[in-house]
Amino acid sequence: METIHLENSRGRPKAPNPEQVELKFSDQAVQELEALLTHYPDKKSAILPTLWIAQREYGGYLPPEAIAEVAVRLQRSYAEIEGVATFYTMYHVGHPVGRHLIEVCTCLTCQVCGAYRIAERLKAKLGIDFGETTEDGVFTLEEVECLDACDRAPVLQVSDAYIGPVDEAEIDALIEKLRSDPGSGTIRLADEIVKAQLHANEQRDIR
Amino acid sequence: MASLAQEPGLVTITIDGTELQVPKGELVVESVKRLGREIPIFCYHPRMKPVGMCRMCLVEVGMKQPDGTVRMMPKPQAGCTLPASDNLVVITDSESVIADRRGVLEFLLINHPLDCPICDRGGECPLQNNTLFYGPSTTRYVEVKRHLPKAFPLSRHVTLDLERCIQCGRCVRFTEEISGDAQLAFLFRGAAMTPRTFELTDLDSKFSGNVIEICPVGALTSSDYRFRARPWDLETRPSTCLECANGCSVWFDHRGGKMVRINGRVNDAVNEEWTCDKGKFGHGYLNAPDRPAKPLIRKEDVLAAADWSTAYQQIVAHFEDGRTAVAGLVGAKVSNEDLFQFKRMFHRHFHSPNLDHRWTRILPSQTEGVRGLHGIDEVHTRIAEWESVNAALVVGNDLASDQPMVYLRLRKAWQRHGAKVVVISERPTYADHFASAVIRCEEGKLFEAVARLSAAVLQNREGADALRAALKPFAPDAKDRAAAEALKGEFFTVCSESVYAKPDGGKTVSALANLAVGTDNAQRFNLYPVGANDMGAALLGVHPGGQGMNTREILEGCIQGRIKSLWLLECDPFALWHDHQQVQDALENVEFLVVQTSAPNQAMQYASVVLPCCAHVEADGTYTNIERRVQKIEAIWRPKGDAKPSWKLFTELMLRMNPSRPIFEPSELMEMIIAEDESFAPAAYHNLEGNGACLPLGVDAGAQLFMEIYQ
Ligand code: SF4
Ligand code: FES
Ligand code: FES
Repeated sequence: METIHLENSRGRPKAPNPEQVELKFSDQAVQELEALLTHYPDKKSAILPTLWIAQREYGGYLPPEAIAEVAVRLQRSYAEIEGVATFYTMYHVGHPVGRHLIEVCTCLTCQVCGAYRIAERLKAKLGIDFGETTEDGVFTLEEVECLDACDRAPVLQVSDAYIGPVDEAEIDALIEKLRSDPGSGTIRLADEIVKAQLHANEQRDIR
Repeated sequence: MASLAQEPGLVTITIDGTELQVPKGELVVESVKRLGREIPIFCYHPRMKPVGMCRMCLVEVGMKQPDGTVRMMPKPQAGCTLPASDNLVVITDSESVIADRRGVLEFLLINHPLDCPICDRGGECPLQNNTLFYGPSTTRYVEVKRHLPKAFPLSRHVTLDLERCIQCGRCVRFTEEISGDAQLAFLFRGAAMTPRTFELTDLDSKFSGNVIEICPVGALTSSDYRFRARPWDLETRPSTCLECANGCSVWFDHRGGKMVRINGRVNDAVNEEWTCDKGKFGHGYLNAPDRPAKPLIRKEDVLAAADWSTAYQQIVAHFEDGRTAVAGLVGAKVSNEDLFQFKRMFHRHFHSPNLDHRWTRILPSQTEGVRGLHGIDEVHTRIAEWESVNAALVVGNDLASDQPMVYLRLRKAWQRHGAKVVVISERPTYADHFASAVIRCEEGKLFEAVARLSAAVLQNREGADALRAALKPFAPDAKDRAAAEALKGEFFTVCSESVYAKPDGGKTVSALANLAVGTDNAQRFNLYPVGANDMGAALLGVHPGGQGMNTREILEGCIQGRIKSLWLLECDPFALWHDHQQVQDALENVEFLVVQTSAPNQAMQYASVVLPCCAHVEADGTYTNIERRVQKIEAIWRPKGDAKPSWKLFTELMLRMNPSRPIFEPSELMEMIIAEDESFAPAAYHNLEGNGACLPLGVDAGAQLFMEIYQ
């Protein structure tokens, strides 16, 4: 759980004035947002997909500026957007995640099939614990509950792909393969989710 | 049991074996109150939508079948989200309900720190009370409780103790539903769920203080009140807030001669139960250590304590029969009785018409105001009526600052039935977020903006040809035309006298009145005052009338030496008048300056005589709010030191100048006011119990247009 630091109340920073929030969405993102808004009766309903756009635009995670931009674009309050973003675990709020997000399922089936051995192996190899990111910013390791792929237990979710069943011997090769991948899996995942929200004709028009 | 005859709109339900009729759809938690019973609650609040978050209100529910048997639902239901429908059977006191309540409280207390002995809420805490009455005496949970920051300042006023939060969402819903700034939201989830501001920025809502009161535990506490007292140590007295002209009902809590906190008091006609932060946190001056307690008289450059009779002597010497060489200026927090007596003293004994209570740049004379130019009253709409308006035009400064309660009602109108609101302002305002159109104009261009909108509104209407012709030079743009859509039918206008502080304020007001008159909406026009008793001062004639000098002329008069003696009653010109240099010159120049004040102010440096006077909680008196509701405030404390109620002071002075029958009670003054001005008749003291009494509004003399402003 995040700890909050006590500060002098008089020094509490002010929330940014909506008119001064810097809007950084690319042209493509703006078009996507406009298309998405037509799917819903009001702007509030578009918060989740817009957060995905923001997560892609801001490099795989949601810094405060991203939350603010979503709030301004959807005319909702900052706090409301932050509340939604922190509710769902697939949005990464506040701190950057690595280019590749490795999520280890340690729920029942995977556990029985050796998920903890896999997890230990990953931790040793990357030198990080669950919830941490390697210093070079390439990998983030997370522990997750059932990924709904018990038939492939033990299973990993690596950004936008499920890998499983895995065994310890494959871990080294997997890490090397990911390390040599210059793209960012987390951004790719966000992009795919945004695309999945758009109708085929909208996708065509925006491309 | 024989069924009751059915009335339309009512349904028959049974609560704990008693059959009763309630409006269809009424929430069971409310219906139960009709029987004098109670369901324990946390998250439910009668003025907000129910959410069913805490489960404290579980009841057993069933349906009466045609054969007379009752089919119970297998699981308990939340009474706060359950609407009454025909044949509903509710049981609030069965074994299983009692067990449910115990269970819910045991759950809610899993992580609650139980630090009641050091909690501000202890003694008035719904969680404490419900646990005492409905909860288990001990718990089965032995796990370590979650630990979180104990005193996190969300703002200057509100301190959050996260460990105590029971996640009921009242605070979050208040900012979303009532104040509308949505500055609080729940972040994270599960046990980590916390009500917070975005990125822990300042909770600078204009209504933030209310969340302290509605939090059912000690999670949101007042930074000022923290650890100052236990509720049972406090003396709680009803009073009225004087920080603005809305006159909200409040509870005034004091202890050992010090104000410790202000809480909202239910008054459905004015503030429902809310307060704004100005009022809730703005009474600190009452505790100032250096409030004048004795008359002070200047002797060789220093103010020295003196007795009343010397002070009176000097005042009489300088003011009696001073005619046009003496003048009086008045602040906003002066009661009707004080104002009336002050005016009488000036008119009868000083023979001076030079009185004013206004401090804005523009000081319209009798013939220039709304009444003079347009023949309509300044005020037509009562505060509670704002929640049922369908369309409104809001002009000038932020409505939430000038008229907080009108703002809350108007927002409610938008939320409940989609009232259309058009805002014209120079700066962002609170009402922007629900306005159907916002016209943001440059500084100093308010008048043009109103004129352009007027032209657009008239394009949609028949009649008012003269006005339409006069508005020719103001061509509306697309934005104005879009805004005018919202004002097609009847609409209410609201503006505050603070607009007179702007250079084009007079023209703006006139243009608004023209628009209202030209569209047959004169009955819905409002120009509300801003200072606590500005309305009273205006009604009682504490202004120059036809012959006297207004505030500006008085200050100029002091500089030029035409005014020899000046009396400042509960006002600090340095804080109120826009031109500091002018104030300084005036006060330096005037020969004799009386500063009568309840709190130390800058003008005292220049005073010849300082008279201590009572603050509103130290003397009985009545005050007139924006909707001409006269409310009585009763003395809560003894006056500080030798201070006396102003009316008494004036009476004593008048007796010195002209021995006659003295006045002993402020109620006698009210009788005199009524004798002089019929319209005050409803405000006789015996009528003022409870929420006070309203004087007539909307006394129109025959609406007129005034076109010269457009030239
Ligand atoms: S802080 Fe108080 S009002 Fe807000 S959710 Fe927690 S318990 Fe409820
Ligand atoms: S337990 Fe791992 S996918 Fe279901
Ligand atoms: S009061 Fe009904 S669920 Fe909270």
